[in-house]
Amino acid sequence: MASDRRIDLEQLIACPACDRLHRRLNLARGETADCVRCGHRVQTALVDSIDRSLAAASSGLLLLLLSVTLPFLSLSRAGIGSQISVLDAFSALWSSDFRWLGVVTLTLIVLLPLVRFSLLIYVLLPLRINRCTAHRVRVAFRWALALQPWAMADIFMVGVAVSLFKVGTVARLEIGLAFWALLATIAVSWYLSCVLCRDTVWQRLAADGCRR
Amino acid sequence: MPSVIADTDADKHLTARHAGLASCRACGTLHRKADRIVCRLCGARVHSRTPRSLQRVWAFLLVGVLAYVPAMTVPVMLTRSLTTRSEDTIMSGVLELMRQGSFGIAAIIFVASVCIPVIKFAIIGALALSLQRGWPMSEHARHRLHRLTEFIGRWSMIDVFVVAVLTALIQLGTFITITPGRGIEAFALAVIFTMLAASSLDPRLFWDHDIDGSSRTR
Repeated sequence: MASDRRIDLEQLIACPACDRLHRRLNLARGETADCVRCGHRVQTALVDSIDRSLAAASSGLLLLLLSVTLPFLSLSRAGIGSQISVLDAFSALWSSDFRWLGVVTLTLIVLLPLVRFSLLIYVLLPLRINRCTAHRVRVAFRWALALQPWAMADIFMVGVAVSLFKVGTVARLEIGLAFWALLATIAVSWYLSCVLCRDTVWQRLAADGCRR
Repeated sequence: MPSVIADTDADKHLTARHAGLASCRACGTLHRKADRIVCRLCGARVHSRTPRSLQRVWAFLLVGVLAYVPAMTVPVMLTRSLTTRSEDTIMSGVLELMRQGSFGIAAIIFVASVCIPVIKFAIIGALALSLQRGWPMSEHARHRLHRLTEFIGRWSMIDVFVVAVLTALIQLGTFITITPGRGIEAFALAVIFTMLAASSLDPRLFWDHDIDGSSRTR
């Protein structure tokens, strides 16, 4: 009796946007299913999601580490110059007595993307090599998804572009390697959001035999 | 990419809530209502509808709007050079860019710092009011407006990052130095709290009146 009920629930899925119940479909590779009422995407079966997401997350992590350590921009005028790294966006605010804003900036542009990539590697790697996953892996995946809108490296880059225009008239600017590394990080991160299939990962995590 | 409609045989819209179930917002696992409060798969707290969703929306939105007032009126950036000293608010920065002929950049800043926040305040406020007062509004319109606010909200942070980068970059001693102004703190708060307001709004509320308008969670 109890097991009948369990099976019942696993054959159903509720639309995340409007709560409409649907029967879970066995999607073929690359297929998606939308809610009949509100049109929100209910199920996806993205192709090779785990492989592609794992590749994207690990290269994203490497590129992000590069972009934090290499010189980002340098500028000079009449012999006086300055060179900054991404972290200086934090330290400049911190030392101008805008401490919490410095911490918020550092968190949004470096820490959260870093945590997101790391959590995804932590979740996807055991799935890729077919290891069993503990409960904390599923908690990690929940956090990785929740962090997504707060990781703002892409918006930071638009801010940088605007700043470059503003500075261009005042002094001579040179773009450092970290600039290109951060641009690549953002490209990889966008690719990651396109190929990461929540459905596939949650189903793999749910089906894992090591539960309980 | 082929797309199939999830379910075609049923013509009436049975919701998880009406069936006595609650789905986890994080992972989608279905629970019997009295089943558990914590999701058995991902460990998130499960609610059929986000509790006190509208109350949270109003609280976050109010803080966002209040913070937006000093964000617009207090200078966000102080520029000191050999001969001059100027304080810029967000709007005076936009006007200055236009005076220099950088209309594209001026437009980016204006859209990100003025249009998007104001549109978000209006949409979130209207959605919350329309739910509370039961205004006749198509569910699809509500659904699309809500998706829009969640999508555009984060782009308002551009100005905060511009100030951070300029502060870090323009430290040329006596020639020219840029320091942040207090307005940028208020601006960051306004953006963050408006994002929180948008994410506190449970989209499932939009569709509830189909079946039980009376028992809508506030």
